[in-house]
Amino acid sequence: MSEALLVSNALLWAAVIALALLVLALARQVGVLHERIAPVGALALGRGPRVGEAAPGIEAPTLAGARIALGGVAADGRGTLLFFLSPTCPVCKALLPALHSVIAREDPALRLVYASDGPEPEQRAFAQAHGLDLAAYALSTELGLAHHVAKLPYAVLVDASGVIRAQGLVNTREHLESLFEARERGVGSIQELVARERGGSDSVTH
Amino acid sequence: MSALDPAFAWAASAALALVFAQAAWHKLRDLGAFAAAVAAYELLPAPLAPLAATQLAAAELVLVGTLLLPPARAAAAFGALALLCIYSAAIALNLARGRRDIDCGCTGPALRQPLSGWLLARNAALGALALLGVAPSSPRALALPDALPIAGGALALFALVLAANQLAANAPASQALHERPQAAEVRR
Repeated sequence: MSEALLVSNALLWAAVIALALLVLALARQVGVLHERIAPVGALALGRGPRVGEAAPGIEAPTLAGARIALGGVAADGRGTLLFFLSPTCPVCKALLPALHSVIAREDPALRLVYASDGPEPEQRAFAQAHGLDLAAYALSTELGLAHHVAKLPYAVLVDASGVIRAQGLVNTREHLESLFEARERGVGSIQELVARERGGSDSVTH
Repeated sequence: MSALDPAFAWAASAALALVFAQAAWHKLRDLGAFAAAVAAYELLPAPLAPLAATQLAAAELVLVGTLLLPPARAAAAFGALALLCIYSAAIALNLARGRRDIDCGCTGPALRQPLSGWLLARNAALGALALLGVAPSSPRALALPDALPIAGGALALFALVLAANQLAANAPASQALHERPQAAEVRR
């Protein structure tokens, strides 16, 4: 009898462990799917300063040693693209060439500012390895918090008067282009544009 | 009240050891990223963050070893409880400051997890496991068949903790998806 109980117990434990592992595998798959259902445009996460509002005015230290002024009216009349990245983020690295070519095509006069935080030697090695301009590489936790950056790479497009024109999580070249598209159409993100179009067609059918 | 069977204490301690082993592993694999996460909590002067990160990871490793050693188990369980309290206090302080967007640092740089109340609940549950490990247990001598519930319980609990962590890390993306149900229809 006790042997039978032992066997049934062993079987049950095997089943419990197998089920727990299945739950884990399913949760992982959900995570991968969330990454794959990349939003069509850069995904604005809906917190922090919104499009149309002034970008937070922050003076951040750069890797070149000077400080860079962000937010507020630009004296030289150029807009700014804030690109939040980290040496530990593989997507950020992969996106750098696309970032440079999209800016060259869409708005060559744009001021590109890389924003990151963390240990300086690591950041310096990363910036040098990828040939990034040290004077445009800001190191500031405050900046990321002010923009409520929760996921990387994240981009914020600010115009010359210091107003946020478009922003969002950018994972692909299309996401980057969608920021410029959103700016031209005067919407905050491509999702907002879609929502607006749907709202418009809804009111027609009603 | 009769004391608990010792198998409970063993299973709880073994599960906790697995949880800390996994936590220490991802911390040591990328100590720089964990130091950055510690610094982002803004509780310590920035130059101390790398040192604190190393010590936290080392403390976790020591717990893994001692939680499985019978003479040191009680002390290790209280050590685990103290470490969990430190983590919870750091998370609660930053939640109170409204800094929810920083990475918890709990699941490594590959799986970012923003701060939330769930982390406090998780730590409380792990603390309960630690307490279960030191609760007075009956003096029954363990025999070979006891390995089954101990190993099985520990493995199942460990897998459930990992799954819960993954679900919590998925939560922001999942919520974002609910907030923009129209996005699925963009591709025409």
